[in-house]
Amino acid sequence: MIKINSLYKKFNRSVVLKDINLHIKLGETVVLKGVSGSGKTTLLSLIGGLDRPTQGSLLIDGEPIHKLPDNFASKLRASKIGMVFQHFNLLEHLSVAENVMIPLIPTGLKVDKIQDRVNSVLKLTHIAHKKDTLASRLSGGEKQRTAIARALVAEPQIILCDEPTANLDKANSLLFIETLQRLHQQGKTMVIATHDPLFDNLPFSSRVIPMVDGEIVDE
Amino acid sequence: MNEVLLSKDVLVYLFSESLLFILLFIAFLVSVKVYFKWDFNSFTPSQFKLEQESYLVTTIAYFIFIMKFFLILYFAFTVDKLSILVAGAMCGAGVIQANSYGDYLLILKLSILFGLTLWFYLNKYDLESKNYQWFKEKSVLFIFLFLFILAELYLDFSYFINIDTHQPVSCCSSLFGQLEGANPLPFGLNIVTLLTLFYLLFIVVVLTLLLNQTYLYILSNLLFLYIAYYALVYFFGTYIYQLPTHKCPFCMLQKEYYYVGYALWFSLFIGSFIGINGAISSIWLKEESSLRGRKTALLLLSFFLFLCSAYVLVYYFRNGVLL
Amino acid sequence: MLNNSFFYFLTLQLYKEKSKHIAVVLLSLVVIFLLSSVLFISSSLRYSLFETLEAQPDFVVTKLKAGEPSTTPIDWADELLEIYGISKVTPRVHGRYFFKSKDKSFLVVGVDFLEEQSHKGIESLISGTDIKSFLSGDNMIVGEGVKKFLEKNYYRNSYQFLTPKGVFKKVNIVSTLTDKSNLLANDMMIMPQALAQEILGYGQDEVTDIAFNVVNPDEWQNINDKVLELHYDLRIVSKDEIKKLYQNLYNYKGGLFLSLFIVLLLTFSLILYQRYNMIYSTERRNIGLLRAVGWSINDILKLKFLETISLVLISFILGVTLAYIYTFIFDAPLLKEIFLGAENLENSVAFRPVVEMGVLSSIFFIYAIPFIASVLIPVWRVAITDAKEAML
Repeated sequence: MIKINSLYKKFNRSVVLKDINLHIKLGETVVLKGVSGSGKTTLLSLIGGLDRPTQGSLLIDGEPIHKLPDNFASKLRASKIGMVFQHFNLLEHLSVAENVMIPLIPTGLKVDKIQDRVNSVLKLTHIAHKKDTLASRLSGGEKQRTAIARALVAEPQIILCDEPTANLDKANSLLFIETLQRLHQQGKTMVIATHDPLFDNLPFSSRVIPMVDGEIVDE
Repeated sequence: MNEVLLSKDVLVYLFSESLLFILLFIAFLVSVKVYFKWDFNSFTPSQFKLEQESYLVTTIAYFIFIMKFFLILYFAFTVDKLSILVAGAMCGAGVIQANSYGDYLLILKLSILFGLTLWFYLNKYDLESKNYQWFKEKSVLFIFLFLFILAELYLDFSYFINIDTHQPVSCCSSLFGQLEGANPLPFGLNIVTLLTLFYLLFIVVVLTLLLNQTYLYILSNLLFLYIAYYALVYFFGTYIYQLPTHKCPFCMLQKEYYYVGYALWFSLFIGSFIGINGAISSIWLKEESSLRGRKTALLLLSFFLFLCSAYVLVYYFRNGVLL
Repeated sequence: MLNNSFFYFLTLQLYKEKSKHIAVVLLSLVVIFLLSSVLFISSSLRYSLFETLEAQPDFVVTKLKAGEPSTTPIDWADELLEIYGISKVTPRVHGRYFFKSKDKSFLVVGVDFLEEQSHKGIESLISGTDIKSFLSGDNMIVGEGVKKFLEKNYYRNSYQFLTPKGVFKKVNIVSTLTDKSNLLANDMMIMPQALAQEILGYGQDEVTDIAFNVVNPDEWQNINDKVLELHYDLRIVSKDEIKKLYQNLYNYKGGLFLSLFIVLLLTFSLILYQRYNMIYSTERRNIGLLRAVGWSINDILKLKFLETISLVLISFILGVTLAYIYTFIFDAPLLKEIFLGAENLENSVAFRPVVEMGVLSSIFFIYAIPFIASVLIPVWRVAITDAKEAML
């Protein structure tokens, strides 16, 4: 599903990622473990197509996402990848439902169909009761669930999470892991970048990949 | 000269054209830079920056090209309005003849619209390909269009500045009327054969469009365009004016005829341009011809035919005879 | 289209972020309102003027003395009638009568009530009058401005003219012209021709000028030349020439105004450019987010453009509507003075609603093109925001 070969990333002069080789199979859940600065967030953003590598290849479901023109890369992102950001990144002036519908708008689906999908994914993430609340008025855990709902609404195959529990308390973190488990059971491919020890021994994660200074360290 | 330039419509028109040209010039500069440095397979940060800059060119081009379609209508309107000032002119036909620039300007404008329609197709196919396949062709066409539009701006100003309102011009009746003996129709046709050809060609156009016979379609549409011009001026027009001797392509743009001229000329030319360019790009780029483009062309040309015929039919039903 | 998600999202964004755009919309409103009001007034005036002109006779002939118009002999009318193609020859008596102590003047128009008028405008003005009773005494019909002025000076039902012979002539006011949109009627006094001759000091066989019509427009030049040949001191003025003159005058004034306006517009564009650059830079994070969840540059451009066009349309429609109400329903207080000026008598003109496609198109082009042009580059700049901005 995700094939990374000899990936390098440079920011100005410093090398942030060095010679990353990683193959992630369909349905696998992988945890990228490392402290801040280890490069795991950068790697995640490359996989998500948010940034381009300096060197190397990156195939998502066979497509070289870093080489595609913007039209195609965006479409790939919209249909195959869902991202949950560390700071949730919701649009504060919109409601929960409005935030969640955003990925579906350029797809050309009609408004009523979009609203159906949004409603079903809100139910899944247990945030349907706050559907019309403004994002600025939500608690941390509720924002998290909205972010997950938004990541899932386009029914992507791949889910990427960047430090998902960094701004949550323990109870909400456990709830989040439960959600991940359900997603795994649905066959989603997941990559989680985190330094939270809660993720060290997940029953459904196939691998924990430690990263130090931009390199994958042998497990 | 001063009276013309101070006419409100002329001022607005020239101002719009100039402003658009300034924007276009910016796009041109960026386009040239991007063209020379473009290397899709390099995947360097500078290449990606070029990709972003090419979006600027596309954005400006889209805006300007769409405005050009509106501005040619406004140009026709302005020219028509000037007929009050120019001695002897009763409609735009006379004003266009006020100096030698007029005819060239009109033809140039139509050519530019033709080129723009082609550019729209090229751009569409380019953005749909995974590797910006038609980037070079699109850019070259854009540069050509820029040069044409530069010439157009020059002619715009030259034309309006050189209209001498004291120099009488011919009115449409002497320009298009029946000159003694000479038959204004092409190939020595008479009205009946002209009309037969008109309707027949339309059927051929529809068939070749639906069956996607690109070469035949281009040929038939070009012929249809040519014949339709004469049919409209020398036959259908007389039913719009309800006067068998009034033959003029410009008078139908006036208010007393409900501005129907705009609808007629627009649908004929733009319909043909869209269709022909769809076929050209399909052949040239070896891409599948756009269904939407063909549908639009068909719709516009059918509307044109329907409107023309309607005038004749309505006249006949009202009066029981033909002109 | 109502079911289209793009438009749904667009309206959502516009509504929720309306504070960002309010300043621009207000500024645009002022610009459009100003421009539209001026253009509406000007085209309404022009329309009325041309309508009045249209009703005028095709040609007017005067005798010249030392190069200036002088009293025209009434015999010339017979000579004109002999030229083939000329119809409706009307000798006319008209002129200005000065109200000495107030330095104001009236337009005295003499009308031969029994003959057909070659001036269709006068014809419509006098159409409601009972001719018999009118001719039974010294009577006149006056314009609204005249009536008001005379009443202010304590002349209610009649006025005492002082003729050039030094004799006072009392004339009764029979009725008032109430056609408010007729610009000329305001200052007019219409009376029988003989009476006008007396008041203005013309002899019985003298008139101010002679008007006539020529039915066939193709013959105008021909007849123009023939008439000129009749007398060496004859001057002929055609309606066409007057039309051209007025058109030029309007163009001149209008052109000056527009040129100044364009300067204003350029300033407006600069303001827009600056403002949107600023607005959009604060939006970068949000746009980065849209990009991160799969919106392409094209999609962002589409959204931003639709946003811009919506603003343009909203401002345009609102601005034009407000201008329409201001001009044609409230008769443009303040601006009216600038156009008409309180030159002679107080004018209470109602602007006839004239909305031409040409005027609306001009307003739209002159406003929309600079607007969109100045927003274009800021829109592009924000649309190419890198998706990774969302991560920051």
